[in-house]
Order: sequence, then C-alpha cells, then structure tokens
Amino acid sequence: MTPQTRRRLLHACQEIVGADGVVSAPDELRVYERDALTTHHRATPDLVVLPTSTDQVASVVRVCATAGVPIVPRGAGTGLSGGAIATAGGVLIVLTRMNRILDIDLPNRTATVEAGCVNLAISRAVTPRGFFFAPDPASQQASTIGGNVAENAGGPHCLKYGATKNHVLGATVVLPSGEIVQFGGRLADQPGYDLLGLFVGSEGTLGICTEVIVRLLPLPQAVKTILGVFRSVEEASNAVSGIIARGIVPVALEMIDQETTQAVEAYAHAGYPLDAGAVLLIELEGRSAEVATEAFEVEQECRAHGCLDARVAQNEEERALLWKGRKSAAGAFGRMTRNYYHQDAVVPRTKLAAVLQEIAAIGVQYGVRVPNVFHAGDGNIHPLLCYDDRVPGQFERAMAAGDEIMRCCIRAGGTVSGEHGIGLEKREYLRLMYSDDDLAAMQRVRAVLDPVGNCNPGKIFPEARHAEASP
Amino acid sequence: MTSAEATARVLPALQAIVGPEGVRQGAEVAAYRLDAVAPGAAVLPRDEGEVSRTLLVASQHGLGVVPWGRGAHQSVGRLPIRYDLALDLARLNRVLAYEPADMTVTVQAGVGVEELQRRLGEAGQFLALDPPLADRATVGGVVAANLNGPLRCRYGTVRDLVLEIRVAQADGTITKAGARVVKNATAYDLTKLHVGALGTLGVILETTLRVQPRPAVERGWWLIGGNLERCHDLALRLLGSHLAPNRVELLDGTSGPVCGAPGPGPALTASFAGVQEAVADQAATLKRLAEETGLRVAAMDNGPAVWRTLQDFPWRSHDDASAGRIQWRASVLPSDCAKAMRALRDAAAPNGIAMAATVAHGALRGELIAPSLQATAAGLTAAREAVGALGGFLVVMAAPAPIRATLDLWGPAPDGAGLMRQLKAAFDATQVLNAGRFAGGI
Repeated sequence: MTPQTRRRLLHACQEIVGADGVVSAPDELRVYERDALTTHHRATPDLVVLPTSTDQVASVVRVCATAGVPIVPRGAGTGLSGGAIATAGGVLIVLTRMNRILDIDLPNRTATVEAGCVNLAISRAVTPRGFFFAPDPASQQASTIGGNVAENAGGPHCLKYGATKNHVLGATVVLPSGEIVQFGGRLADQPGYDLLGLFVGSEGTLGICTEVIVRLLPLPQAVKTILGVFRSVEEASNAVSGIIARGIVPVALEMIDQETTQAVEAYAHAGYPLDAGAVLLIELEGRSAEVATEAFEVEQECRAHGCLDARVAQNEEERALLWKGRKSAAGAFGRMTRNYYHQDAVVPRTKLAAVLQEIAAIGVQYGVRVPNVFHAGDGNIHPLLCYDDRVPGQFERAMAAGDEIMRCCIRAGGTVSGEHGIGLEKREYLRLMYSDDDLAAMQRVRAVLDPVGNCNPGKIFPEARHAEASP
Repeated sequence: MTSAEATARVLPALQAIVGPEGVRQGAEVAAYRLDAVAPGAAVLPRDEGEVSRTLLVASQHGLGVVPWGRGAHQSVGRLPIRYDLALDLARLNRVLAYEPADMTVTVQAGVGVEELQRRLGEAGQFLALDPPLADRATVGGVVAANLNGPLRCRYGTVRDLVLEIRVAQADGTITKAGARVVKNATAYDLTKLHVGALGTLGVILETTLRVQPRPAVERGWWLIGGNLERCHDLALRLLGSHLAPNRVELLDGTSGPVCGAPGPGPALTASFAGVQEAVADQAATLKRLAEETGLRVAAMDNGPAVWRTLQDFPWRSHDDASAGRIQWRASVLPSDCAKAMRALRDAAAPNGIAMAATVAHGALRGELIAPSLQATAAGLTAAREAVGALGGFLVVMAAPAPIRATLDLWGPAPDGAGLMRQLKAAFDATQVLNAGRFAGGI
C-alpha cells in the first residue's frame, strides 16, 4: 500500500468510525500481527478499524473496495489456523466493539447478537431462564460468535449437538462490495440456495458477518459426568467405540492421554490418576431416567474394555473439577513445553485406535513429543506437537511430524480440520482431500461473492500450482 | 427444434454411453412427464461416469435435463424452460459404505429411503429423516428437494444430516464437497448449496449421511378438547421445557380426523422416544402440562400408523386427482403458528383447508381444497397474503396441472436472489439442469 493510499484510507476510516476507532501507530498495529496460530506467519495490517455498527462496517468495506485494498475480518483473535492474519496487508476490521446482545426471544428460542459478542456471553444471558447456546469451543470465554461462524467452531459438546453451523439460523453479512445482505433468518426452509450454510465456515473470505441469529436450546434436566481410567489409549479408544455401538450418544466424550493428565494434574488438580495410560471424560445429558440408565451402561462398557476405574461425579463440584482438568489442558501445555503446535483433524471413530498408534510412532520417528487431548466421540483429534524454538531443528521436526500426521488422518478416511479451519495453516493439505475440480468449484463460488479476491486473501486455498499450463 | 428432434440427434451418443437398454423413448417416457410435458428420452446411467458423460453430451447440444429419482416429488417447482432428457438415477442404487460404529452411511443417489432405513435398522440405527412418500422417494431426491418430516423437531433437517455430497455439474465435471466424517471444517461447505437446490447446481450422485441409534421405544399422545391457541400454547411450553419430544405436530382444519385424531377440531400430537423410564417420566410431565393448559390427553395406540399419515400429509392426497387441491408449505415464527393457521383458515373460507405445523420450526404444510380450480387459485392468493402479514412465506409444492403454470409457486424472490442467480450461472451457464424450476427464476 502506498503511503498516500494509507493516508487517504486512514482519514476515510476515521470519518466513518471516529478517531478512536482506528489504530495506525506501528507499535499498536503489532498487537494485531497474528492470532492464536503461532507457528506459521505473522503480518502487520496497514490499518486496524474497530467499527460499532453494520453500517460502519459496510462503509469501511466500501472505502477499501474503492481503494482496491484487502480487508481481513477479526474477532477475538483466538483462531488456531491463522484466519485473522493480514498476510497481504490491508485493513483489519475488528468486530469486538460490536458485542451487544440485540434480542432474546425465548418463545422462539433464538437470540440475535452482534458478531463481536463473546460465545459464552450468550449462554450466560439465557441460562438463568433455562436455556443455553450449544457450541462450546475451548476458547468460548474469549472467542466471538462472528469468529465461531467464520470457522464453524465446534467444542466438546458437538458430539450430540453439532457444530456452529447447526445452531446458526441467520447472519447479516457485509459483502466484499460493501453491500449488506441477510443470509437465512428466523424463518425455516426459506426458498433458494442455503447461502447461510455456505457462509458458515467460509473463514471470512466471502464477507464479514456483523449480526448473527442463533438457536437456543432448553437446559437439560440432568447431567452426569463419568471419568473412565484406562491402562492405554487403545483400550480407551475401544471403549469409545463400544459406548457408541450401544446406541448411546453422550454430549461429550473426551480423551486425555497420560502425558497430558500428568501436566494437568500438576496445574489443575482435577483428580486424574497419574499412572493411567488415558482417561475418558464422558458426559451424558438429558432426562434423569435416561441419563441414569446410560451412565450405568457407560460404566459397564468401560469395564468391559478393561478400565481400571470408572467413577461418576457425585455433585456439581466434582463435575466442575473433572472438566477443569480438560479445559486447563491448553494452559498446562505451557508447563510441558516451551512451544507447541496444536493440530486438528478428524478420523472415522472406528479408526481412532489405529491412527493414535500411528501418531505415537510418528512422534518417535521424528523425536517429537505428541501429547493428545481430544474429542474422541467424534474422532476429532488434537495432537500437540511439542518443540523448543531455541534448539535448532526442533521446530522443523515438529512441523514434519505434523505433516505426517495429517497424511495419516487422510489415509484413514478423515479430514484435515474438524473445527479449527484451514486458514493459512492447512492450505496445502486441502489437495489431499479435494481434487482440482473440487477446489475449482469452491473458487467459482468465491468469485461470485468476492470477484476481486480482496476479502481475506491468501486463506483457505492452496497456492496455484506452477507449470501446469505448459504443454 | 422440438425436444424430440433435439433428443433424436443425440440418441446414438447416449446409447453408446449407457447401453441401448439405458435409454427409454416413445411410450416409455410417459412416466417422466412433468404436467403434460414428456421429455424426448429418459437416460438411466449405470455409474457416475455415465452420468458425467451424459451431461457432457447434453450440455454440448444445449439440451435441458431433469434429474429424476422416483418422481414422487417432481411437482415441486415450475416447469423447466427445456425438458429434453430425464436423467433417471434408478441404477445408482448401492449403499457404498456403512460402518455402524462410525454412525455414517454413504449411499448412491438412487437408493430408496425405505430400503436404506431397513438396512440401517438391521444394525439398530436409522436415518433421522421422515420425508413424505418415503416409500417412493430416493435419498438423492430427498436431499435435492430438502424434504423433511415431523422428526425434524428432534433431529433437525436434511442439512444437519448431510456430511458429504458428490455431484456431477452441468458439464459433467464430478466434484465432491464435505467429508465422510461427522465433524468437518475444511474450506467451503458446498454440500449446503446442493441441499434443497432441486439439482439446479449439479446432479447429486452420492451422499454421506449421519445416522442415529434407534430409540428403544416411542410413544405418542393426542392432546385435544381445546382451541387452536391452547394446543399451540402447550406445544411451545413443551418445546421450551427440558422435555425432549420426538415429534410435536399441531393440526387444524380437517387434518386432525385425516390423521386419526380422536375427535374433530384442532389437535396437538406429541411423542417421546428413548428408554422406557424416560418416556414414562416425560409422559407424566406432559399430562401435567396438558391439565394446566386445559387439554385432554389420549394415548395413541396406533402410533406408527399415525406417524406415517402425518409424515405423508398432505402429499398422499395428491394421489387423488380431485379438481381443486393445492398442496403447500409455509414458514412463520414458531410463536405465530396458531395465528397463521387461524388466518389461513379464514383465507380459505368458504372452501376447505387441512394443515399441520411442526411447531419447533414454525414449519406449516397443508392443502387448500376448493370445488373449482379458480376458487383454489384465489384461495392461494389469500393464503399467501395471510402468511405474509405475519412476516412468513408460502410455497406451492403441488397443484393441478391445468392451473400450475398460472400460479406463483415460489412467492417473492428470496433475499440474496441476485447472488443465487450468479451462482447458478457460475455452475450452469447454459441452463442445462432444471433451468427455470427453482425459486427466484433459477
């Protein structure tokens, strides 16, 4: 961007959002040079703009479109695939000042919120009245609903309830041209193509969502949380399959391996046994009668697969403590390793045990520790590649091991992201999943919504291949 | 050039692709009529490669193609602007992968919904989808037309169950979207664009669906003896409570008796499914709520038959060719269901109306019944206005051939219609696939 363009944009944006809504000082811009993906890239945006309304977003986008400048939407910056990094420079549009809950409609079980509203704020607002918002990414205390929509965020409880796309009914979107459109809405089955379904998970490349209508669910009557303690990850994986095969769909079925339990215990004191090869955290929700029956069956199934212990949290305190362990994993990792690369992939549940063995072998082969704490119920694994950036070669080895792991998951019939998205991180892996024709179809869609290609450029799609055109 | 002439020129090419037995002509194409219009030929490819090559020929010759399952729901949408070939997917009828422990199944588009349910049932699972006329519907057709039934109350709609789709685009290019796993966040979810698109962006070849464990028991109740508003009020209370109903259907007009309600007038049905204890315990709460609302509770002793009738309502009556029947669907806010039904009843008067609402989604469906075609058409206009006054919309799903062309089937162009038309142009610039049938003139 030329200094003149930047100056012009700065003034135009200040006109729109006010002087306090634009960040332009180099040292302040550096705050925005990356999100929660720390391994790959960083880039400083030319300007950061913090609008407070949909109209302001649209005006800023129009100004950028006229200037031919890239726009990059950003929520809380907790994304793990680098979607909010302004790799091509341009204007970072940060939605955190648009954080209001606009409407709660309990008879229709919807809430309308601004995109910068924090995920957990929705549940906090409606829980006293008997409702909740189901998607619960680990970042839910910080991440915004707009970011959740962009990434199709998941979380432990997606096993039963589904991911963000299953809980969003409508979105107000500012297209890359600056036009404001409504995708979906509170009415079901609207005629025409499901543009909302397309938009959710498009990682900010098709426009910027400014308001979201979400579905609320009534709180369940009963919750039971069970800790299953196993000798090995393999036995725990088999128990997972056994539970599902019985026709039980827990709301969450999380696996925590030994390396992680040890780190977590030192930090959170959740009561996980240190000598266990793996623990399963199994949560059941629903009717009291149903949950009681299922808890009994889950215990049986754990014992049938050789568990050392299976215990049910006896009260809310015990339950909170078990979850504290799981939710502290990310924090505990900081004590285990100087640096880490947090991966995300999904494999068919039945391939879980085999894939986990292969991952362990890959770790040994590359000399990289790979603890794993993940959503076992839906086969969504999160291998954590540990390295120390002060030791030459460790980073490269961790990345190489990560690459092997992705290929292994694809070979098992899986996918390279379950809930973190592609962003910058996994662009090249898309080719493992999709043919050139598949990717071309996506690009055609993109060309309709973002014909210039300035909306979060450089994300999702692999770099064009060279030399293909030569005869 | 007529459709017959255009088709005749490509017949040898088509026969070379699908084999002579795979091309139907003459009297045999009557089964593929849309209203009075028959295609020049019907093509029955044996695999996706043949679908692809058929489409390539069609697009090169400017033919109009209608993807075809078993034809049960082809009344949806306008007539295509060209109808040269019916692309019958009956021979794409294999279950490609089914691993019960993964709770996913991959099927070709031509697999019948009921056949699939039987197969899943052997493993104690089911596809949580109960589209109308399931006995005559294919999985591909149900996905393409986004057909749902009362079970959506608990399990959501087609879009929530589809994990992966393979399609053949208008020029024959085969692409897939999504993945064969229950959770996925990899690039654009183009599966969503094909759900409910009536095949206008591509011919669905196969799909991977999420399946569910089959509940141990399901029991249903009628809630009767009150007015529409009381029934509706109870439905909203049920849905906002921590009960987990399987189906909640509000019936009005003449649909109650048609569906087996024990008495005339408005009725509510509700069912619970799961382990015996949980069903019994929820039934007790339901009874208490019903008493509070002033409704009478009657246990349903023929649940499966009632569910089947409700699932097929109002499509089954489309079979009977009595003059003035229009089947429609409409959407309003869940809290407006009773208001909408009352307004629809007034709009239909003095003629008849039968309707049901899946209250959880504010999804209404029903039929207008009038002694003449003209009266039905007038009733439709009034009905659409009634729903529109509540901010809702109404779509015609089936109507008698003589008046279909004169009716506004889809209603006003949807939000984003401009983008939708551009998407159509991006995937089917030469208007091969079901062109003109869909909402917004697509």
